[in-house]
Amino acid sequence: MSMLSRRERERYKRQILLFGEEGQERLKKAEIFIAGAGGLGSPVAIYLAVAGIGTLTIVDSDVVDQTNLNRQILHYDRDIGKRKAMSAEEKLREINPDITIRAIDVHIDEANAGRLVGGADGIVDAMDNYPTRYLLNRIALEKGIPLFHGAIRGLYGQATTIIPGKTPCLSCIFPKPPPAEVFPVVGVTPGLIAMVQATEVLKFLLGTGNLLANRLFLWDGMQAQASEICVERNPCCPVCGTGGDEEAGRKGE
Amino acid sequence: MKVRVRFFARFRELLGTDIIAEPPPGTVFAALIREVARKNREGYDAIFDGHGAFREFVILMRNGKRVEAADAEETVVADGDEIAVFPPVSGG
Repeated sequence: MSMLSRRERERYKRQILLFGEEGQERLKKAEIFIAGAGGLGSPVAIYLAVAGIGTLTIVDSDVVDQTNLNRQILHYDRDIGKRKAMSAEEKLREINPDITIRAIDVHIDEANAGRLVGGADGIVDAMDNYPTRYLLNRIALEKGIPLFHGAIRGLYGQATTIIPGKTPCLSCIFPKPPPAEVFPVVGVTPGLIAMVQATEVLKFLLGTGNLLANRLFLWDGMQAQASEICVERNPCCPVCGTGGDEEAGRKGE
Repeated sequence: MKVRVRFFARFRELLGTDIIAEPPPGTVFAALIREVARKNREGYDAIFDGHGAFREFVILMRNGKRVEAADAEETVVADGDEIAVFPPVSGG
């Protein structure tokens, strides 16, 4: 017996050609946590919604500002002044009424992060700052779920998939954050990096393909050049390198 | 001796994309980057602090392997090496 309705089988017909009904059912059973409804979070949420991820939790505590509209495509001109969580929820429900959207208007912090992520199968890093990214990294390690990292500046972007115990954690790769700034950005860059992240989410949930694990993807839009760099666990990493490290190392062998 | 130096992101904007350097034998990683970066003051300052030390967020790679800033002062580069220097980006 299929857990997909007739309507869903029609909606996802063209990707069922790729993943089969079983794959589609896996997506339907999945729950993904999207941290941020901005430049990365908007396209990630839209594409995961249309792909039929059963439950999407999207968290953002901001209000839509006119300066967001060049890239944060979940929010429209009419939404200026509205809570981003509300604006995102409205659009995502319309985009796909067959999935569950949980939009939460709260600032992710030390005290609430673990509870917010709950039993999600993975965390999409759609944040714009390293302190929150490091927090999500720790939650992902604690829960043993992947963190799909993405970040951008101007026409330049980076992405990697962090799998606890199998890849370096975010702090192994980026031990120190760059200085905070008002970063320049044009919407196409987060659009592109978000698609790398969303593709990773789908492959992880479907258990198919090669993940962007132990590799940092770098995109330079100005040069139209993609490159990648091998990244390794730091045995001395203060976040993932102590205590559990030996055990994780053995598991990987 | 030829060493390929690749900058990324902001460093690339200031210092160029792909640079083939020809350092004398015995040149260490950090000295090579200082020399290459010297052509653009803003680029140099983006990578190094006032004491000429790598800024703490700068990521250094040699042939795909991470090099710690402290080791970069002792690691001698070799012919054919590929060196990458980049800052993490933070926008979202």
